[in-house]
Amino acid sequence: MSQPQQASVRNRLLKALSAGDFARLQPHLQRRATELRQTLICPQEPVTQLFFPEIGYVSVTADVAGNRIEVGLTGCEGLVGASPVLLGSDRAPYHEFVQSPGEVLAIDTAAFCAAVDESPTLRRLMLRYLQTTMVQVRQTAYANAAYTMDVRLARWLLMCHDRVDGDAITITHDFIALMLGVQRSGATLAVQSLEGSRFIKAQRGRITMLDREAMLAFADGSYGVPEAEYARLIGEA
Amino acid sequence: MPRYYFNVRHRPGPAGLAVDPEGEDLPDLSAARARALEAARDLIARHRLLMIRDWLVCLFEIEDEDAQCVLTVPFSDTVPDVDYG
Repeated sequence: MSQPQQASVRNRLLKALSAGDFARLQPHLQRRATELRQTLICPQEPVTQLFFPEIGYVSVTADVAGNRIEVGLTGCEGLVGASPVLLGSDRAPYHEFVQSPGEVLAIDTAAFCAAVDESPTLRRLMLRYLQTTMVQVRQTAYANAAYTMDVRLARWLLMCHDRVDGDAITITHDFIALMLGVQRSGATLAVQSLEGSRFIKAQRGRITMLDREAMLAFADGSYGVPEAEYARLIGEA
Repeated sequence: MPRYYFNVRHRPGPAGLAVDPEGEDLPDLSAARARALEAARDLIARHRLLMIRDWLVCLFEIEDEDAQCVLTVPFSDTVPDVDYG
């Protein structure tokens, strides 16, 4: 199979690389299809491969005492596995799995680290990306403390919408409950709240964004800080 | 196991019912009631929604697979009846 070309990749980090840095990674990139709920990174197991999502997105969840709550989201703007590998660990305490199936470009950790060690410009871009993920988790902590459940759902759905083609987000109430750290009935209520305001249309297993502008207003500043940092540090979508 | 749908009524009229499209498999009606109370306790204790001012006016309208309402569980049932004499 031919290697991915920079002109045709969809991952925004790969697109933002210099031609020279892309050429360092290119021979090692392996195109893989992903399946719903496929685990990419297991908690406390060595990260042997990193994944640049091309289509679809990956959830990071914290699993504590039988509860599981979503704490992060990575799509074609990111690199799954980046933080432990770049920050000198070989593993992380969180589970990362495919929430929206599609395609990733996988790279072996050893090859990725060798390229980063050889190229200061590649390292700089990756560290800037890590800074945007740090902002994302801090913004999540803020949103969880400051906003009601319906506003927090609006924020997650905007983040999902950024990472899919079109306006349909495939998602169950079970999964929304996981995003919000609430029982399933809480998800049912939060969905109805947004649907009642005509921001979204909810069908079984799917939510369609009807009015993104209104949803942004409703999200009330809970959304947008990491996205703006990404645009500033890496580049516009 | 039968499947129960946990619709939540938070105000009168069609706009006041949050419909559960997925449901949950449980052994019987008493398990469904226990599940509803557990969810109500979690919502009351830990969560806020702009749409809902008072959790204690909410109630579950639990339906079976034929969309028949088989049980209602007021959120206020989570508060034990205490005899203060």
